[in-house]
Amino acid sequence: MVNVFLGSNLQRFTHGVEEVEVNASSVKSLIAELDRRYPGIADALDPKFALAINGEVIANPGYEKISDGSEVRFLAPMQGG
Amino acid sequence: MTVAVEESPVKKSYKWVGTRPVRHDGLEKVNGKARFAADMTKPRMIHGHVLRSPLAHAKILSVDTTEAESMPGVKAVVTAADFPPPSKNEGFPHRSSNLIAREKVRYEGQVVAAVAATTRRQAKAAAAKIAVKYEELPHVLTVDEAMADGAPLLHENLITKGLDTTPKQASNIAKRDYFEQGDLEAGFAEADVVYEHEFTTKVVHQGYIEPHACVADTSKDGRSEIWCSSQGHFMVRSATAEMLGWETSQLKVIPAEIGGGFGGKTTIYLEPLAVKLSQKANRPVKIVMRREDVFKATGPTPGTKIRVKIGARKDGTLTAGKAWLAYESGAFPGSWGMLGGWCVFAPYDIPNVQIESFEVVVNKPVNIAYRAPSAPMAAFATETVIDQIAREIKMDPIELRLLNAVEEGDYNHSSMVGTFQRIGLKETLEAIRDHPNYKIPLGPNQGRGVATGFWFNIAQSSSATVNLTENGRAVVVTGSPDIGGSRVSMALMAAEELGIDVKFIQPVVGDTEAVGFTDVTEGSRTTFATGMAVVRACRELVTQLRERAAIMWDCSVEDVEWVDGKAHHSGNKESPLSLAEITAKAKKTGGPLNATGSLEAKGQGPAFSTQICDLEVDPETGKATILRYTTAQDAGTAIHPSYVEGQMQGGVAQGIGWALNEEYIHDKKGVMQNPGFLDYRIPVASDLPMIETVIVEVPNPKHPYGVRGVGEVGIVPPIPAIANAIHDATGLRLRDLPMSPVRVLEGLNQQNGVG
Amino acid sequence: MRYVRPGTVDEAVSLLNSEPESCVFAGATDLVPQMQGGRPEPKLMIDLKGIPRLVKVSYSNGQLVVGAATPVSIVKVDDNLKAAFPGLSESSGLIGSDQIQNRASLGGNLCTASPGADTIPSLMVNSARVVIASSGGTRTIPVSDVVTGPGSVSLKSNEFVVEFILDAPPKRTADAYLRFIPRTEMDIAVVGAAARLTLDDADCCTEALVAIGAAAPTVVRAPVAENALRGNPINDETLAEVMAAASAVCSPISDKRGTKEYRRQVAGVLAKRVVLQAAKRAKEKGGAV
Repeated sequence: MVNVFLGSNLQRFTHGVEEVEVNASSVKSLIAELDRRYPGIADALDPKFALAINGEVIANPGYEKISDGSEVRFLAPMQGG
Repeated sequence: MTVAVEESPVKKSYKWVGTRPVRHDGLEKVNGKARFAADMTKPRMIHGHVLRSPLAHAKILSVDTTEAESMPGVKAVVTAADFPPPSKNEGFPHRSSNLIAREKVRYEGQVVAAVAATTRRQAKAAAAKIAVKYEELPHVLTVDEAMADGAPLLHENLITKGLDTTPKQASNIAKRDYFEQGDLEAGFAEADVVYEHEFTTKVVHQGYIEPHACVADTSKDGRSEIWCSSQGHFMVRSATAEMLGWETSQLKVIPAEIGGGFGGKTTIYLEPLAVKLSQKANRPVKIVMRREDVFKATGPTPGTKIRVKIGARKDGTLTAGKAWLAYESGAFPGSWGMLGGWCVFAPYDIPNVQIESFEVVVNKPVNIAYRAPSAPMAAFATETVIDQIAREIKMDPIELRLLNAVEEGDYNHSSMVGTFQRIGLKETLEAIRDHPNYKIPLGPNQGRGVATGFWFNIAQSSSATVNLTENGRAVVVTGSPDIGGSRVSMALMAAEELGIDVKFIQPVVGDTEAVGFTDVTEGSRTTFATGMAVVRACRELVTQLRERAAIMWDCSVEDVEWVDGKAHHSGNKESPLSLAEITAKAKKTGGPLNATGSLEAKGQGPAFSTQICDLEVDPETGKATILRYTTAQDAGTAIHPSYVEGQMQGGVAQGIGWALNEEYIHDKKGVMQNPGFLDYRIPVASDLPMIETVIVEVPNPKHPYGVRGVGEVGIVPPIPAIANAIHDATGLRLRDLPMSPVRVLEGLNQQNGVG
Repeated sequence: MRYVRPGTVDEAVSLLNSEPESCVFAGATDLVPQMQGGRPEPKLMIDLKGIPRLVKVSYSNGQLVVGAATPVSIVKVDDNLKAAFPGLSESSGLIGSDQIQNRASLGGNLCTASPGADTIPSLMVNSARVVIASSGGTRTIPVSDVVTGPGSVSLKSNEFVVEFILDAPPKRTADAYLRFIPRTEMDIAVVGAAARLTLDDADCCTEALVAIGAAAPTVVRAPVAENALRGNPINDETLAEVMAAASAVCSPISDKRGTKEYRRQVAGVLAKRVVLQAAKRAKEKGGAV
């Protein structure tokens, strides 16, 4: 299982629930599973969304593997100076 | 091929990494030979002038260019009609709707049209003849004005994102972000001390010395070459192509040297205008901004209003934190409020937290990144309240921070990163606690303040190509513009990998057709991510060098080791071969040696900085003079310590300006009153003492040399460090920026019952 | 736009009369930024720096004569001037940056007529006189009669300033100038104050002139402060009166550089400090130059 944290803009799909457990082994399967459970959530992701997997920020996620027990956070695109 | 570079981060001694050679581009920078964008000239080149809105908010009824087109010397005029309509998906930070105004102008200085003529004077004179009819609209300049009920709307269709129920009506609030953890009420109930205060900060500009400039030369075959100053020429290529409706392959972007960016050159302003003017005129076109244009239409960083409430037990344990943050974003939405929310409590392990942030559009230029964007304003609020708590419970402010500081394995919800990997916050706090400057006695009217700061840092894509020359030297080509000494840093890492003298390495910034795709130099990422690409390429080259040595020795490659710049035969049957000896024979062993490295980097290490400010306040004029300034920052590993120190000092210098004097001043009509360095007061050299630096090195486990980004976090602590020092000197708590002499004297008068 | 560089005062006068839309300039350190900011360009620009009389510092018969177009970088380092008028030297050295000072002049600083001009208070407390040329010859007026308001002067459009005349100060007399800026240099005065004091052998003040800049439409003298000083020792009581009088004489505005309350209060502070400095110098100094 993977612990997924959703920001406030995605929580409308989960009725305000912020942390959900999902059975997934990759970013691809994670998003597919989330969308199955919360229809429309995949389309609501910012096209340039980022992820933090176990504290490591991935600016352009897509095909990463996710190991069991990981903590995954959806992030909006970031900018630095 | 893939070479594993993510090896373990044991702090070790290096031959080249950590030394301070003269930078390869240094001579040209000091003798004036370095070419910046405005230095470029081309045969038949003409000059562009941009017509900008004089109004903060207005409908554009008509734009008539007839008279301008007939003016002397005029070769081309462009208006919004020359560009494709903005894509529905266009978003932050590159926006066609911002590049050139269409139905509306949304801030003073927004582009309305542009003219190209034989001389700059002719172009300027012709631009004055473009007849624009406006219908003036009421404007909003602050988050308070913009969030008020019935406020004039910048965008009639802007529906706030991130609310529990999607609003039916448009507003100036683009987005709300919210997170919470634990039980806030219980957390505050547990506290012995609770403080809540409101803070405001003003819009400030990055203040880079070089104004934006570009030259575009568009050919009849539909291609254009652009010479410009930016933080990333691949970004210039893609963003310009998007706004023109062109393929990226129609554009070639050649990076000029850059005279400062600090985040402000992570987007485009002039390039599509120049390409289009050049296409229409069939001539190369140069556009150079004036300082006034730079202030009115580029940068800046948001003004904010932030409320922070923090509770602590008498023993110093923080029990709860609540933050409400509203960030301006200029005329179009960005993501500044969200970033501020992520940073506001990031340095501390606070069990019960609630953070709500807002992104608010106002009739001011569109905000763009500025050195750890959004973090300094949030730190101003948090670090001031933390200082107040330390005083109340009579605890040393550094000890209080150490007690609550996040470290490896701490789960920090609010930072949005989640669980921290190896970080160096505690090490920076200890470095300051143990620094002799923390104990220097102070005189009358003098005060000392400390503060700490956090920034994520960013990774992204980078590419490098390394070519070995016939005489045994290496040319390292990357796609990262060199803003803060990145060329020499790349060269040092290449020297370490290849084992040759750093002076035999020539670092080059390649154009968009000379090297692989590379993201913008931003988020303190270049030494980290582009460094990884260079290391990859060099490790591939070492493999090739061993193979060539094996050919020369007629042995198996397994019998060849690469040590200290030489091939060694494992059985010691051959004398070692230097890199130059191998490259000299390259034609006989298979041809030239070169390699590329590229990656979408991951695993950047968050950066922390802790600082001490000592200052003296003139009680009769309210002027604060910085006496001493000390900054300790975790660099991971300092590749070139001089440029790490330069970044640390630069961040502090800009933070001091922001704290004490910098601000955008608008009149009632929303027109900026101080668009020049005379009245927009960045510090001058004599305003600052030598800023003392302590480089802390807690290697980042995800980088081959342990690098974290160093460019940004230095600007986070100065504002609260100065506010805390002014309090220490005078007893005044200032919560509104800038802490100018006028504001300090007002506070002192109130304290003394005067005025 | 045409640029000319006459070699004599007469030549400059006839050029000025030849074209109604003409303009004289010395350093152009204000004029060029003003034109870039939208000030209409004149048809004829007359550069006064080619006239030797306007670009020199000389002394004769107990008088100092400073050409109106002399770069303030020379004014600030001229040894005789520095000895006699340290405050004027000081105020010259505060204008802009080194580069600006190589161009800027006393004549330009006066005729730009900014309320915050650094050298005007110093010229006023030293009772400088101004020689003005026109087709009718020259006339000499007190420096305090030149500026009539922000950006406006009493000179006619066919007149220009040729030189400044300052009488050598009496014994135990010295001037000083202080300004307040939020930075340390390269800035414009938020408030400025100049003072010139003459002390008797008992360090009692016998004559005092005090002028405040940037706190009214023009640089103003502070007569009440001057009266408080005359005939009195420089003690806390006197200084408190000086502070109050200097603040009272101000009629400042609030703008991007400061509020009126701030200017009024700091005018008093600077007046006090500048009086102390002038008094210290007067004590250290012997007789006239």
